[in-house]
Amino acid sequence: MTIDIDQVAAKSAPPEFPVTIGWTQAAMAISSVLALNTPVHLRMDIEMHGALLIDFRHHAFSWSTPLEYFPVDAVHTHLETVPTSPDAPPYFELPGQDLDGLLWVMGLNAFGDGAAFWLSPNERYRLIRWPNLTRHSHNMSHVKMIAVLGNANASTAELAAFAGVEEPEAQRLINALSLMGILSRSSEAPAATMAPQTAAAKRQSLFGRLRKRLGR
Amino acid sequence: MAEHVILFAGPMGAGKTTAIESLSEIEVVRTEANNSERHIVDKATTTVALDYGEILIGAQEKVRLYGIPGQQRFDFMWTILKKRAKGMVLLVNSDAPDPIGEMTFFLEEFRELYDRGGVVVGITRSDVMPGPALAEFSDALERTNPGLLIPVFTVDPREADQMQNVLLALIANIEMRAAFGMLATTGAS
Repeated sequence: MTIDIDQVAAKSAPPEFPVTIGWTQAAMAISSVLALNTPVHLRMDIEMHGALLIDFRHHAFSWSTPLEYFPVDAVHTHLETVPTSPDAPPYFELPGQDLDGLLWVMGLNAFGDGAAFWLSPNERYRLIRWPNLTRHSHNMSHVKMIAVLGNANASTAELAAFAGVEEPEAQRLINALSLMGILSRSSEAPAATMAPQTAAAKRQSLFGRLRKRLGR
Repeated sequence: MAEHVILFAGPMGAGKTTAIESLSEIEVVRTEANNSERHIVDKATTTVALDYGEILIGAQEKVRLYGIPGQQRFDFMWTILKKRAKGMVLLVNSDAPDPIGEMTFFLEEFRELYDRGGVVVGITRSDVMPGPALAEFSDALERTNPGLLIPVFTVDPREADQMQNVLLALIANIEMRAAFGMLATTGAS
């Protein structure tokens, strides 16, 4: 038996929840739930965008707002974890939407240009697996940075330098990949060394030329 | 003229020809014959030699896209083409009887190409019939090839935008692998 999403969404929010703007608190809550791996669902009420429900066990979410219209400055009027059990029915009718898509866009936007609160200074990062880029809205700087993290340990500043992007852009990507749980962190990983690239070598990048040719 | 050869490999019915058609700027050269193995994959025709398309980059450079036949009896074509290739898009249809087995088989066959270039795996038809989750493909790769970090994406080969994303991710990864000294050799152009 599944829970009717309309029924779940119709439940009224407790009045004591402090209204927040943006996704910081939501990202923190999700990060904690994922880290604890405890059986809970998550429900958020978002002004003008309705209820957003997350079923972690099925790695799925349900929301009437398409991710193409993700409201960066959403006003959250309620956020709660809903205890469940490993054999409980899904939170909503499956399949829902792949949670990774939500975590990607939330991670890119939840902390502005700053670091996610669970990250520490002096860490280097490495990719555990590639995100499913054909399903996530992304740009070519993201692709380049992900390719760096797939082949080298890098701090945020090093990532920005290796990929030739601004540090805030690198930080946003680190936040997103970390929230998705596909980034390892280490304060002891040695710095990577990139082969010296002359200006001519940079011009010879097939990626750069093909990207331009394809208008990306 | 500078040339970069990209292979499209994978089992019969994975969408290799369609993927090349989505990317190519020229009319794709197709070498199809009646499919004599309809008991395995229910399609009327299949590639028997190769498919060919290309993307021109300026007047002096092109990316050559070769689709190779999926059946193992044509593996002499695999040997010829992989020597010239810079990288490979490995397409596996999610609704195949054993898609994870197909992926690991082709990766083993083309491991040398991964070592000196790069590979991206594209899982097709995942919207048609439920198959293994994407994480299961990644987990299988990690089990069979520990330490390799191969991008795995779901993809619709009919969608040019998605195929361009796959191709650009492949090229970006190959270039970063070279930049960080991860390639065995750099034989291909």
